[in-house]
Amino acid sequence: MTLIIVLTGLYQGWSNKIGEYIRSVPADIWVMQLGSENMFHTPSTLSLSEQADIEKVNGVAGIKPFSARRLAAESAGKAMDLYVVAYDQANDSGKPKSVIGGNSLPGPGEIIIDASQSKKVKIGDKIVAAGRQFKITGFSEGGDLVTSSFAFVAKNELDKIQELPGQTNYFLVSVKPGFSTDKVVNNIKSEVKDVDAVISQKFADNNTKIVKDNFLPVIFILVLIGVAVGIAVIGLTIFTSTIEKSREYGVLKAIGLKNRQLYNIVIAQALLAGVIGFGIGAGLAFVLGKVVGSYVPQFISQIRFFDVMWILALTLAMSILAAIIPIRRLAHIDPAEVFKS
Amino acid sequence: MSVIEAKRLIKIFGFGRTAVKAIDGVSLDIDPGDIILIMGPSGSGKTTLLSIIGSLMRPTEGTVLLAGENIAKMSDNQLASLRLRKFGFIFQSFNLLSALTAQENAAIPLMTAGMPKREALKQAKEQLAKLHLGDRLDNLPKDLSGGEKQRVAAARALANQPELILADEPTANLDAKTGAEVMRLLCNAACAENRAVVIVSHDVRLKEVAKRVITIEDGRLTKEEKGNHDANCPVEHKYAH
Repeated sequence: MTLIIVLTGLYQGWSNKIGEYIRSVPADIWVMQLGSENMFHTPSTLSLSEQADIEKVNGVAGIKPFSARRLAAESAGKAMDLYVVAYDQANDSGKPKSVIGGNSLPGPGEIIIDASQSKKVKIGDKIVAAGRQFKITGFSEGGDLVTSSFAFVAKNELDKIQELPGQTNYFLVSVKPGFSTDKVVNNIKSEVKDVDAVISQKFADNNTKIVKDNFLPVIFILVLIGVAVGIAVIGLTIFTSTIEKSREYGVLKAIGLKNRQLYNIVIAQALLAGVIGFGIGAGLAFVLGKVVGSYVPQFISQIRFFDVMWILALTLAMSILAAIIPIRRLAHIDPAEVFKS
Repeated sequence: MSVIEAKRLIKIFGFGRTAVKAIDGVSLDIDPGDIILIMGPSGSGKTTLLSIIGSLMRPTEGTVLLAGENIAKMSDNQLASLRLRKFGFIFQSFNLLSALTAQENAAIPLMTAGMPKREALKQAKEQLAKLHLGDRLDNLPKDLSGGEKQRVAAARALANQPELILADEPTANLDAKTGAEVMRLLCNAACAENRAVVIVSHDVRLKEVAKRVITIEDGRLTKEEKGNHDANCPVEHKYAH
């Protein structure tokens, strides 16, 4: 149970974390280079000249460029993988989701990094990325990418690193009131050449899909293993108990209990064993999530009520399955055996 | 009218050359108020006969009629219902459920028959009080003496007012005084409550309590004689000498 809950919590935690910042960006539609699906594996580069074409599309209320780039960084010998976003003060684009310490916006030579890196660095530390040195002036939250994190610098700082004049990575589009977002997406795709557009939620999903695609099959296999182990443990426990108590079951048969009534006893025992195991497992999973998470930042466990409920349902199903073999044993107990002393 | 009419019972265990005839043509009528003692050497078929009469085992051949109905032909569920309503069992090794208290053990047949738990426990308490176990209600079997365990077993056997009580070596694990207590109980069930009692035992002292004494050898009923039963059931005096 612990294994299943922890894995499900990790999956949920990672999925939510990776999409958290993208979901917080104020945009109805993300416009990107054709063929670019997500920020991490298929980056996008667009000409700023396309901004005017997109602005003309029916239903577009506003548009802002959004630049970001993945960079290897280092601070006092500690390596970090950062996804550096350009804060564009003029366009009010590329702000952190929220700042929990230090300055809220980066100035020249400054960087705000995600609080998930706070075990490695502190405010005031120097950090080197792409040969440029930055001073950490703030900690933001909501930008944890598990294996990396979002960081924020002034737009001209990222421009100097990227050296792509007249280019940006994405456009953030807002839709006029009364227009369907899907319709505007289609309008952009049909009216502007070589760009792709997706609604904001879909873009966030495209980024979390990386986790789902890589993590879900592993979770599925491990959950199957967990279920098999659970059935074996509950089954063995109940089977052993049934064998130990087979004489008492024989007595109950002799007294007049029907097989169905005895099966109910065994199923109740199996369900009780399952629920107790589930309770202990869930408790352990919560404790593990808190304790391990405080030492290992990548251990982001989000245990949802819905997940707890389906795992409980799975436990109950496992318990009933586990009762089958003991029940078969019970069916063959001869009540006349009770006369043997 | 007889409680049980067993006719030409045959029970064969195994097949072919390894087949063993445990019961060989036994017929027996059991009437209300009877106290029948079945005796015989070990392996003679006493317990097998008791199991067949008590519907715990089906005969290979023959009939066991209860109120004119052949119980040998009933389904497992029908037999279970029958045992619950009509029969009470007392075993040599008591066979109480180890995790339940004396009161709960005595209440099992009542609850199985559908009585609400509270009422069943109340009736079990009253029954145990009659058997001088009123202060042992909450004790687990491991905390009871042999005699107390057998009295709890008797309370369980009598719970559903059975027509027939089947006892297998009920005094074998008891000292003379406690054995007498248990026999007085069985005697009283037959004489005062008109229940039939069938006892399988090696204990010859039980002849003093029995109304009929049946001897079985090699699965055959070889002798039936009158017991020395006294209608007033003065068991202790007779049993203890």
